[in-house]
Amino acid sequence: MSERRASGPVLTGIAFLVVLFLQVPVLAVVLAAFSDTAYLTLPPKGLTLKWFAAALNDPDYLEAAWTSLWLAAGSTAASLALGLAGACAIQRRMVPGAAWLNALFMAPLILPSVVLGVALLQYYAAVGLRGSGVGLWLAHVVITVPYVVRASLASLASADEALEDAACVLGAGRLEAFRLVTLPLLKPGLVAGGLFAFITSLDNVPVSVFLLSASQNTLPVKIFTSVEQGVDPSVAAVSALLILVTGIALVLAERWTGFHKHV
Amino acid sequence: MSRRSAGALLASPLLLVLLLAFVGPALFMMPLSLREYVPGSGIGAGYTLGNYTRLATDPFYREVILRSLGLGLSVTVLCLLLGYPLAWVIAHARPRLKLALTLLVIFPMLLNLVVRSFGWIALLSNRGLLNNALMDLGLIERPLKLMFNLTGVLVGMVHIFLPFMVLMLVPVIQAVPRDLREAAYTLQAGRLRTFLSVTLPLTAHGILAGSIMVFVLTISALVTPRMLGGPTYKVMATMIYDDFLLTLDWPSGAAMAFTLTALTLAVIGVSSRVLKRWGGEP
Amino acid sequence: MPALTLDRLEKRYEGHTAAAGVSLSVKDGEFVSLLGPSGCGKTTVLRMVAGLVAPTGGRILVDDRDITRLPPNRRQVGLVFQSYALFPHMTVFENVAFGLRRQGIDGACLRTRVEQALASVRLSGLGQRMPRQLSGGQQQRVAVARSIAPRPSILLFDEPLSNLDAVLRDEMQIELKRLQREVGITTLFVTHDQTEAMSMSDRVCVLAGGVVQQFDTPEAIYHRPATGFVAGFIGRPNRLQGRLAVDGGGPQAELQGGHRLPMARADGLAAGDALDVVLRQEDISIQPLKDAAGAGLPGTIALRSFVGARVQYVVALRGGGELIADTPTNGPQSGLAAGDEVWLGVRPQHVYATRRERAEAGA
Repeated sequence: MSERRASGPVLTGIAFLVVLFLQVPVLAVVLAAFSDTAYLTLPPKGLTLKWFAAALNDPDYLEAAWTSLWLAAGSTAASLALGLAGACAIQRRMVPGAAWLNALFMAPLILPSVVLGVALLQYYAAVGLRGSGVGLWLAHVVITVPYVVRASLASLASADEALEDAACVLGAGRLEAFRLVTLPLLKPGLVAGGLFAFITSLDNVPVSVFLLSASQNTLPVKIFTSVEQGVDPSVAAVSALLILVTGIALVLAERWTGFHKHV
Repeated sequence: MSRRSAGALLASPLLLVLLLAFVGPALFMMPLSLREYVPGSGIGAGYTLGNYTRLATDPFYREVILRSLGLGLSVTVLCLLLGYPLAWVIAHARPRLKLALTLLVIFPMLLNLVVRSFGWIALLSNRGLLNNALMDLGLIERPLKLMFNLTGVLVGMVHIFLPFMVLMLVPVIQAVPRDLREAAYTLQAGRLRTFLSVTLPLTAHGILAGSIMVFVLTISALVTPRMLGGPTYKVMATMIYDDFLLTLDWPSGAAMAFTLTALTLAVIGVSSRVLKRWGGEP
Repeated sequence: MPALTLDRLEKRYEGHTAAAGVSLSVKDGEFVSLLGPSGCGKTTVLRMVAGLVAPTGGRILVDDRDITRLPPNRRQVGLVFQSYALFPHMTVFENVAFGLRRQGIDGACLRTRVEQALASVRLSGLGQRMPRQLSGGQQQRVAVARSIAPRPSILLFDEPLSNLDAVLRDEMQIELKRLQREVGITTLFVTHDQTEAMSMSDRVCVLAGGVVQQFDTPEAIYHRPATGFVAGFIGRPNRLQGRLAVDGGGPQAELQGGHRLPMARADGLAAGDALDVVLRQEDISIQPLKDAAGAGLPGTIALRSFVGARVQYVVALRGGGELIADTPTNGPQSGLAAGDEVWLGVRPQHVYATRRERAEAGA
């Protein structure tokens, strides 16, 4: 009896079509970014780099990009610190009600982002934080920290406490033992969690759009509002650049930490 | 330092941040949702349940809610129908193919949401790639209306959430022991029969978990319905957006926000109870 | 080298007591084993000495210093873990150097000390390997090197050999004992394996249910078990029930079927007491019934097993019950067969009897 393959040709065919479907908008964006015309045709009527030039020279886009990066970096850093600390307290059962704490730390994932956005809007308006950088940063910490907590809990669960005990008996204080022995072993999980946090912040529209003041903008919100006002091909160029950056980041993350295992 | 005080020191900063910037604001919005909005002069002084009752009684709002739920259901079903085969192929693929396919699924998921939606706009709009191609080929004379309606939103949403579904299904399918399938074959079961009576039941909890996630994310979505549906295609999240930023009817928006949250929690609550019961099934 | 004293050490948890009133003292340079079945509290006691578990009562003294309240990193003890606990992301060299670095040693002095430690466990030259590249035996030796490199005053072992195969374990027992003699560190060794404890130690402390049963030299524990538990735990025991009978011939254990075995000692026992009697397999001499001599029990061989160095006989006693007796393969009685009628002889000093309690600790 011949060995049956797990996936027949029909199934494999469907799978490949679906994968293709997933890449289609990416291709469309890239095409639009290089197309000489404001409308898209296949094949394109001419190739140009002018949209890229327009986007890279637009101070609004540059500022929005800068803001997005700073915001993502700042909230990821804070999330890593707060999230790892909180995860330790939960995993090592150092506080009563660890299960409740865990639920609270993960809760921002369950609440619809748009609800969080408007809740923060009306709250900040009442306390005078509306349109502030701090308010925006705090909001991003709230939406990114669950990813760090989840990744940290998973990493801590597989870290052997005997290693820290051994380090202590050899003369290291508790904190030193954690830093020298456990932290290096947590690194892959933390990198994955941090990457997820960074991307979540960079990507975010439903929370940011309510909290930005007239003078601030983040990249995704700027694209969002630009599209509302009509398709401008420089949006395509910016989008194509974002695709490039994401692709590079994924390859690097995969090479360094075997990223796909942590998703 | 004792274990307890060290633990408190570690957990309290995050606890504080979440209380101040998450729990606090949510609770604070409650009274807002009960206030009256007077167009032209802002928030009234009295308290009323009108914002909530209106959602059930006013046909306009009812339609918005039903549309959101219907969209959620359709997107979920489509993601399942398209995602399960892909997840199956990935689960059974050789390591190198599996890695390549997995990365091809992860990549669009990491892409900025706005970028993805914009890509669909470039494809589906009246002067977009698809219409232009079809017209150039002479297959149609006037552009198909693929955007600013259910079609565009559906396509866009399925594209966004398909990777989630696939990535949730792959480990579940992989966990089905191969010899169970082989046992079914030796008992004369055909491929379809084996799938229906062995694989499908064993992956049921993964299907449910993935579906719940996609459903909940779909009914809460703002960006894609707005970009692909336009300002006239209203779902719950876009109504909240309009209320808070355009019409400035914050109380109404707040009530809609809480209703959306309640629906989300209800769906998650019911499904996790079902999942728990299924967990004991062989 | 200092002496280690445990003074009424106690660890109570909600619901059960892991250690109750454990007192013992390890002399300077002595090798003492904590021996007992799983759950007897020996690891808990060890971890209290290391500072990883806080006692609920009692004191720990090194010479005359009370270290009970000191954190583990200030106690200057070495601990070899059952799982070795080698740092997986550091080389062998870095693992061994860890404790030295914490003492502020670096540079050439550090290198020398690490090399010395590796040489003493015969692992010179493996400094650049990672732990996962080493065999189980090698990892175990790195763990030992790591704990002795900082020259601690007390060395603790938590069942370090239980993950090794039998041959390797025997080798390591000899090596560790030799190492300990060379370095002369006061050592406390936890194990559940009695041959390990007895072959390596100067003295053995038998624990059961968190309570010290006996603390003495291996010979004393073997020949003069102080409690019924020790008698039943050391050696390979047969357990029987009987009653104390006293007549002109002195105290005797009366077993099922009316057979009597004279006892050498009956301290604390009164005539008529119900007894738990332990007869060790190796203490029972077996011979054909026609050669019966002295005190003993008649029976029929039910099963014969060849175990290599010894031959084991399961004998059904006349009057009920079974005993296992063994005899050297190269001895005169190794050729008996199932069905043979035999006489089992036991010397009075080998009849270990204790008053039968309702529930005996740890047995």
